This record gives sequence, structure tokens and C-alpha cells, in this order.
Amino acid sequence: MTTQARTLVLRPTRGWRSIDFGELWAYRELLYIFAWRDLKVRYRQTLLGAIWVMGQPLVTMLIFTLLFNRVAKIGTGTSVPYPLFVLSGTLIWSFVSSAINRAGNSLIGASYLISKVYFPRLVVPLSNVVSDIVDFVIAALLLIPAMMWYGVAPSPHVVLAPLVLILAGVFALGAGLWVAALNIEYRDIRILVPWVLQIAMYATPVVYPLSALPAKYQFVAKLNPMTGIAEAFRWALFGTPIAPLPLVWSIVVAVSLLFSGAYYFRRVERRFADIL
Amino acid sequence: MSTPSVSIEQLSKRYRIGAHRADYATLRERIAGMFRFREATPETRDIWALRDINFEIAQGEALGLIGHNGAGKSTLLKILSRITEPTEGRAVLHGRVASLLEVGTGFHPELTGRENIFLNGAILGMTRAEIRRNFDAIVAFAEIDKFLDTPVKRYSSGMYVRLAFAVAAHLTPEILLIDEVLAVGDVEFQRRCLGRMNEVARSGRTVVFVSHNLSSIERLCTRVALISQGKLARLGSPREVVSYYLSDRTDAFGSNDLRDFPDRQGTGRARIVGIDLLSREGARIDVVPFRTSFAIRLRYECAERVAAPYVGLSILNPHNERIFLTNTLEGGLTIEAIEGKGHCDCVLAQPNFLPGIYYLEAWITDETRGAFADHLRMIGKFEIVVGEEMEENLASLTIPDRGNVWLDAEWSLQRE
Repeated sequence: MTTQARTLVLRPTRGWRSIDFGELWAYRELLYIFAWRDLKVRYRQTLLGAIWVMGQPLVTMLIFTLLFNRVAKIGTGTSVPYPLFVLSGTLIWSFVSSAINRAGNSLIGASYLISKVYFPRLVVPLSNVVSDIVDFVIAALLLIPAMMWYGVAPSPHVVLAPLVLILAGVFALGAGLWVAALNIEYRDIRILVPWVLQIAMYATPVVYPLSALPAKYQFVAKLNPMTGIAEAFRWALFGTPIAPLPLVWSIVVAVSLLFSGAYYFRRVERRFADIL
Repeated sequence: MSTPSVSIEQLSKRYRIGAHRADYATLRERIAGMFRFREATPETRDIWALRDINFEIAQGEALGLIGHNGAGKSTLLKILSRITEPTEGRAVLHGRVASLLEVGTGFHPELTGRENIFLNGAILGMTRAEIRRNFDAIVAFAEIDKFLDTPVKRYSSGMYVRLAFAVAAHLTPEILLIDEVLAVGDVEFQRRCLGRMNEVARSGRTVVFVSHNLSSIERLCTRVALISQGKLARLGSPREVVSYYLSDRTDAFGSNDLRDFPDRQGTGRARIVGIDLLSREGARIDVVPFRTSFAIRLRYECAERVAAPYVGLSILNPHNERIFLTNTLEGGLTIEAIEGKGHCDCVLAQPNFLPGIYYLEAWITDETRGAFADHLRMIGKFEIVVGEEMEENLASLTIPDRGNVWLDAEWSLQRE
């Protein structure tokens, strides 16, 4: 609330409202401090801090390798060793699913503030996605020793990995905004979403490559916007081949989710304090 | 000075309350609703928390908002602080607005005092540069310099309150909204908070202050608005409006129906269905002037005859501590049996409760079953207030943490 418009008119608003980017910018420090608070608390409470964030994907990688590679004999269809393949898939997947979940629940978590003080409500889910990005970056450091261990050099595309992360963030934020706003009105969404996400992981090429699917199902898998994101992340890391269409589709879905989510959020935002 | 700092025009706020449309629905209900036909149109009821409020607040004015619980004063403050939108009308505010939050709202217990100053400041709308500039002053005001790097969860409640107020006190908005925050803290700190608020108002900034504490309203405010049933009932000098408020109260307390009160235990053979607070003249009240007699009426209904019951009640402070208990057995009233409907009155001829908010607990025993017939906690809320005719030196009665009772104490001093 720095020095903005000096005169403020409070009146009922109706219908769709635009996104007030100027106001969001004015509150950027709040966004930053919310994200910082989440990280600080998360890392302070857990004894091992960052090790914990890396431990989770590491253990998942080991279990999935054992289960899907050794037992179920799923390969990667490329020269990338299966553990690296599944680690990269798990990293980007858990970033997206955790960001959707956290952003989705963020408003309810902040209800004590929302009913007491004004700030652009978009700051709340946004800050959650930001703190998840930091978590992801720390967890992704695990790729360095893992790739060294398997003797896999990063592909030159790796410089584009941040773009893939941004795409994943846009997708997660868009979905998170929808979930957050719906969550306020329909509280059973919060039970539904983790369940849907869990199932969706198996519908996404996380533990198996797209090529492992029978040709007639590949089309369905390509409709999943996470397919393009996961494939693009592997393309950036290992230079594995990527079909352009699923990626384009992911971008279209992510951007439209973000815009529709933000507008829907703004539409129901005015009622948050009354419902919470 | 010519343009008002806040102008409120035909401001109304409606809440929709309905049997089906609870505060939130579940998706399952919504989907089920799609397959239901017309007969099941949910019954909604509109409640106007505010209706057609019009007034202006001049720059540099300290306006007090008073009224019963649920009268709409907090809703008005919520609209002014942009937490909720009005349903009709508008409010125009000139200048930066900030709200003084309920103590500790923006704190995180795991973070240190230093970190919480930045967090809370940002929530209140301060920039980091502003917080840094005021940092030393905040720490000094809160007197927590030794504990700056301790997580606030280890703070005493006094330190917590001091820190929260210190951050807010260093906001520099043109319009400051305050909702009942001064009901905490120790005496000395309380005095400094009031002083600080005075300073804020004197420095030409506008203060809107909601409180149940009528004496601090009288001390701090230049004008007072009384909100009653969502309407602006009176606007004027503090003395005039406060005394009007004290003399005129017909609604609130007694109208409650306890038939559906959820938090109760007992056999249910007799039930407490209503509770009234009565003045000496027999009028229903919910505010009692300090040291004035009043009666508590418990209305009951029996499903069947209950033999030899005791009726009892106790008075609790807001910390849920019982500070007084009485029952018909101790009061020397023997009840042979109760049947049907009736009421039982308990007159407190010389109550010595200090000004403040109190709650009631009431019960009827079912002796033949060796249990309560009905027992309800925290049912009625009432307030003991400093009356208008009170002497100035009794204003200190309203400071917090001075206990709950008044006893006539005679002091003397002998020099030897």
C-alpha cells in the first residue's frame, strides 16, 4: 500500500473484474515476504531442512526404479538410464502437484488474514507457487550427483530448463487458482484434488516413456497437458526427442488456465471474506 | 479540512442466510441440487447487517463506533478496510488506509520477533524500507530488544501484544481503523497505547475506533456513532451518544432462543429455553452499569415432571474462568418439582463485577437421575459498564488485567 491513488471509492462490483496488475505490483513485497515465510517455516521446522526436500525424490526414484524398471521391466526407450528418467519425471511432477495442492489450499490457510485485513488475494496462491519453485530448485540439485553417477552429460538444451519450469509454474498456478477459488465455495474440492493428482501421475509419462504406450493410447496421453511439460523437461536435461504438438498443447492449456483461473478468482474474490 | 476524510453514502450490506445455502456448499450437494426440482428451492433469508448508512468523517477526527454485538459496527469497519464489499451505496476514503489488527493476527509463531516485525509490517501494508526506517522505534516501543531473535512462540502474552501493537503504531496512514484491540495488554502498556492513539489523532490523521469499552471511547473520540440494527441510530458528541446508548436498550440479550443451542448436556427432561437479564425495573437489558442490581431469569420447559431439581448459574469472564456460582440450594430455595413451562429468577442485589464482558452458564439438575437435566455453558453475554455518572477517577476500572471484582477497600496510613 505504498503511495497509490489517494482516493479510494468502495462500492459494490458486479460480474467479471479485470486483474489489477498495478496493485499486484505495489504488493510485490508482501508476495515475497509470504513466500519467504513459508520457506523459512518449512525449513526451520524440519531438522534436516534441504536434505529432506532432496530425500523425498531420491527415495521415490529408488522405489520406482525397483518397481517399474526391475520388476515391471519398463524401459526408457532411449539411452537415458531409468533412474534418471524417473527422477526427472518425479521432480517436475511433484513440483506441479504440490504447487496445485498448496495454492489450492492457500486461501483457507490464510483465512485468518483474509477476514482481517485487505491485500490483493491473488498474492496468497502466487506466493505459494513461488515458494514451491524454490523447493523445486533445491530438489533439482539432486540431478547433478545423479547424472554424474550415471555418467550422463546434460544436453545443451539445459539452458532452456528454466523456461520449462516457468511453463510448469504457469500451469500449476492456473490450476491452483481454479482450485483455490472453487475450494472456498465447495469444500470437498480439497479432498478431490489430491486424489485426482495422484491418479493423474500415472496418466502422465512420469514412470514410463510416452513411447511405451500402445499407439492408439498415445493420442489420449498427448491430450494430458502434463505430458508435454514432462517430455520438455527431459528434452532440456537429456536431449531426448520431443514431439512438438504436445508441448504446444501444454502451452495453450497452461496460458488459458492461468487467465481463466485469474479471472474466475477475481470474480469470486469479493465473496471470500463473507464465506470464509 | 473542507473535504471529509471519509464519506459514507447510503451504505448497505446484505448477508444471505439460508437453510440450504449454508456458508459454503459441497460440490456433492450442488450436483444433487441439479437433479432436484422446483419444490426444493432453498429457503434464503436476507439479513441487512447495514442499511442505508450516511455520514462523513472529517480529517483529524477520532470517530468511535458503538453498538450491541451484531449491530453492524464491525461490518462497517470491514467495508471501510476493504475486507468485504458493500451491497449498495458507497464509501469514499481520501488517503492511505490501514487497519490495526487484532493482536497477533499477522504473526507466525515459528518466526523470530525480528522476522515477525517485517512480516506483520508487510501485511499491514508497509514497505520494507519503511519498516527498516522504523525498526528501532518499534523494538523500543515493544521493549523486546533482548528477545529479537527468539521465536515469538516463546514470548509471554504481554510481549506478544506489545510487539503487535508496536508494529501497527508505527504505521503512518491518513486513516487508521481500529477494531477492539485495546482489550489486552498490561496497564502500563495500555496507557501508552492510548497515548499513541491520541497522538495519531492529534497529528491530523483520521481514526475510526470500534470498542465496547465506553470509557475509552469517551476519552479518545471527538465524535461517536451509535449503530443499532444496521442503522445509524445516533451521531454526536461522545458524552451524548454514550449516555443515550446506556439508557436505551431494548433488544439483544433476552431475545435469544436456546432451544437449538448445540453445546449442552443432560437428560433433557427439563431444558433451559431462554435467559434474560433484567434491570431492577424489570426491563430486559444486556448492559448493566457498574454496581447496579440486576436479575437473571432462566426460562425452562419440561418434557416431563422433574422432582427436586436445583437450578444454578455461574458467571464467567472472557477467559472462561468461573468467577461466581450460585444455586437454589445455597440460596435457600427448595423446589419440589417443575413441570411444563416456567422461569426462575436470581436477583443479584449488590453485584461487584468490574466493567467488562461476562458470560453465563446455567443448569437444572435432575436429582432422580443423578445428573444434569440440562447444562449450558457460555450462553449469555453481557457487559458491565461504567455509568455516565461515574466519577472520573473510576475510569481506571476499565483497564484490563485488574481482575473481575470490586471490593470496597478502605485505606489508611499511620506514621510512627
